[in-house]
Amino acid sequence: MEKAINRQKVLLHHLRPSSSLPSHDSSLSASACLAGDSAAYQRSSVFGDDVVIVAAYRTALCKSKRGGFKDTHPDDLLAPVLKALIEKTNLNPSEVGDIIVGSVLGPGSQRASECRMAAFYAGFPETVPVRTVNRQCSSGLQAVADVAAAIKAGFYDIGIGAGLESMTANPMAWEGSVNPKVKMFEQAKNCLLPMGITSENVAHRFGVTREQQDQAAVESHRKAAAATASGRFKDEIIPVSTKLVDPKTGEEKSFTVSVDDGIRPNASLADLAKLKPVFKKDGSTTAGNASQVSDGAGAVLLMKRSVAIKKGLPILGVFRTFAAVGVDPAIMGVGPAVAIPAAVKAAGLELDDIDLFEINEAFASQFVYCRNKLELDPEKINVNGGAMAIGHPLGATGARCVATLLHEMKRRGKDCRFGVISMCIGTGMGAAAVFERGDVADELCNARKVDNHNLLSKDCL
Amino acid sequence: MPVFKTPFNGYSVKFSPFYESRIAVATAQNFGILGNGRLHVLDLNPAGPISEHIAFDTADGVYDVSWSESHDSLLVAAIADGSVKLYDLALPPTSNPIRSFHEHTREVHSADYNPVRRDSFLTSSWDDTSKLWTLDRPTSVRTFKEHAYCVYSSVWNPRHGDVFASASGDCTVRIWDVREPGSTMIIPAHDFEVLSCDWNKYDDCCIATASVDKSIRVWDVRSYRTPVSVLNGHGYAVRKVKFSPHRQGLLASCSYDMTVCLWDYMLEDALVGRYDHHTEFAVGIDMSVLVEGLLASTGWDELVYVWQHGTDPRAP
Repeated sequence: MEKAINRQKVLLHHLRPSSSLPSHDSSLSASACLAGDSAAYQRSSVFGDDVVIVAAYRTALCKSKRGGFKDTHPDDLLAPVLKALIEKTNLNPSEVGDIIVGSVLGPGSQRASECRMAAFYAGFPETVPVRTVNRQCSSGLQAVADVAAAIKAGFYDIGIGAGLESMTANPMAWEGSVNPKVKMFEQAKNCLLPMGITSENVAHRFGVTREQQDQAAVESHRKAAAATASGRFKDEIIPVSTKLVDPKTGEEKSFTVSVDDGIRPNASLADLAKLKPVFKKDGSTTAGNASQVSDGAGAVLLMKRSVAIKKGLPILGVFRTFAAVGVDPAIMGVGPAVAIPAAVKAAGLELDDIDLFEINEAFASQFVYCRNKLELDPEKINVNGGAMAIGHPLGATGARCVATLLHEMKRRGKDCRFGVISMCIGTGMGAAAVFERGDVADELCNARKVDNHNLLSKDCL
Repeated sequence: MPVFKTPFNGYSVKFSPFYESRIAVATAQNFGILGNGRLHVLDLNPAGPISEHIAFDTADGVYDVSWSESHDSLLVAAIADGSVKLYDLALPPTSNPIRSFHEHTREVHSADYNPVRRDSFLTSSWDDTSKLWTLDRPTSVRTFKEHAYCVYSSVWNPRHGDVFASASGDCTVRIWDVREPGSTMIIPAHDFEVLSCDWNKYDDCCIATASVDKSIRVWDVRSYRTPVSVLNGHGYAVRKVKFSPHRQGLLASCSYDMTVCLWDYMLEDALVGRYDHHTEFAVGIDMSVLVEGLLASTGWDELVYVWQHGTDPRAP
């Protein structure tokens, strides 16, 4: 280690000639190297060991119990997105080192089996292992982060992080009795609060008004409707062929789901104002300004950059950092306000460097609070709508956000370099991840425009 | 023109004196601060990408490489662990290196094969010394210890097989004759560390020095009180300087400002060209002896570029 410090010292003297003769006792202090737009020294080179995303897809999200997936098995939701990853990239499925699926409500072992079965439906050989991960609402993002970490650790070079939730098949419920000891632990007791009550707590404690919440919901629907109408979700949604059973006649009808069915293009403040609070008599959280209960799945293909370059695959984004934090369970919605700064700081960036945010709209109250608390520009957040319009299938949301964020960053071009995904987590946590646009730092053949012809001597001009 | 991606950070690049399409690249992991090294030998293909001929792994970073002037398959590598290793391309990687000399006590920063006598080579090290070696001896022939800080490079005079110059972090350049007991000349070339020097290939009294003070100075060793020319234009320390084998006044340099510059010190407007293709410190530069105007550069962005002067190195 002393050798490394001495080497740094010699090289540092080349950059900071403090005195004519290098003094050997000067203490070494390299300044923190910021990687962002605001940094004086922008790091923009290709590193072979970066973890990159080469493909990210999702199913459409449908209202649970009433929507397009009400008669679809959970494994039939996951299989199409897994299959799309290998079909669209022409990847040999046996090269995948692991598939990690975030899933929240399904019973643990049964869900793990369903995911394994889904991998077989999708055409993966038996040699590719599968596991599930449950960090409540951030499970999908956690799955992606787990794969990125495993690739960084060298466990494998190619992995899939996915998310799956069928809230039709597995509604939110508590099984068995509650340990009476919980009464003595305030925070443990708060873990049992219905999510809607935590939303009321956030609204009450931080003074988020009903109008602000309804306004956020209207915006979400408006943006999601605009995105759907202009076909912006076409790149990320994988159509799923499934069946619908008519509840009266029992007749089966097969059809293809390729659009989110919860978006209401003409949602207005006046309509939303009529809705009654659900969780508290004088509360402000209504069915209109909370996330929708949905079914859906998403999947993200990650690999080492060197592998992606070797295979000639496009680089959609680079996985930079991930952070999960804990907050008070009674106001679990504030999670993103703590998690986002943590992840952004770990990436060596500042909030101003982030060009695009996907912040999950579990409830308008917590979404508005986090937006205001971090003083974020509303123009940069959920530009294609959020969970209040599109839906929030708990375990799938993280993977859904990766697909939405990276495809939007790709559309926006070079000016959109860094993106953040974040969500609050039931029982008082928050998670956030920072992604970098793929081709900013890419392409071996990086031919650029020559602004001025300075290759020639001035005498020649 | 083509580009090659190395897994580690580039440190040095050299054209083979025997084959116009062959180059050697010295690389080191983690910017040469900690980790392994790899020595690449690359082949340029007239139409198509650069291909790797062979690569040798080392336990520490490779800071410099020099082709033998006597055998087309021999290479001398300067290794950060203080060793000097000899590689023979004709042998498989398992039988390499064919020699490993452990005498320098700190990082070896340069190696230069004698182009006149063709039987010996020089290395210089951060242990403040330069050493003279021949292939047939197990130990160095001589150690030159006068500098007070790291010696970053020592280069043979292209006309006199016994004369060389050494550039050091003690802000001086020394001229040596291996037949003499001590240095024959001390040039206080810059007020800051001197990182590189090179002899003019057409004037055996002319040398160029590159320094942390961002400038390149051209000197006549017979009257070294004032430089013949001062070339300003780099934004940070100049890491390497190299005279053209084809034109007397032309020299190339690379710098921590990430650019490669071409200069003609005889012109009033000396900066002939500036290339900003690297996205990290540009630390290795060479000019082909066999193809006029062909340049190669490498840097900490892990890329090796080969291009013809006047064209865009990035052009596909």
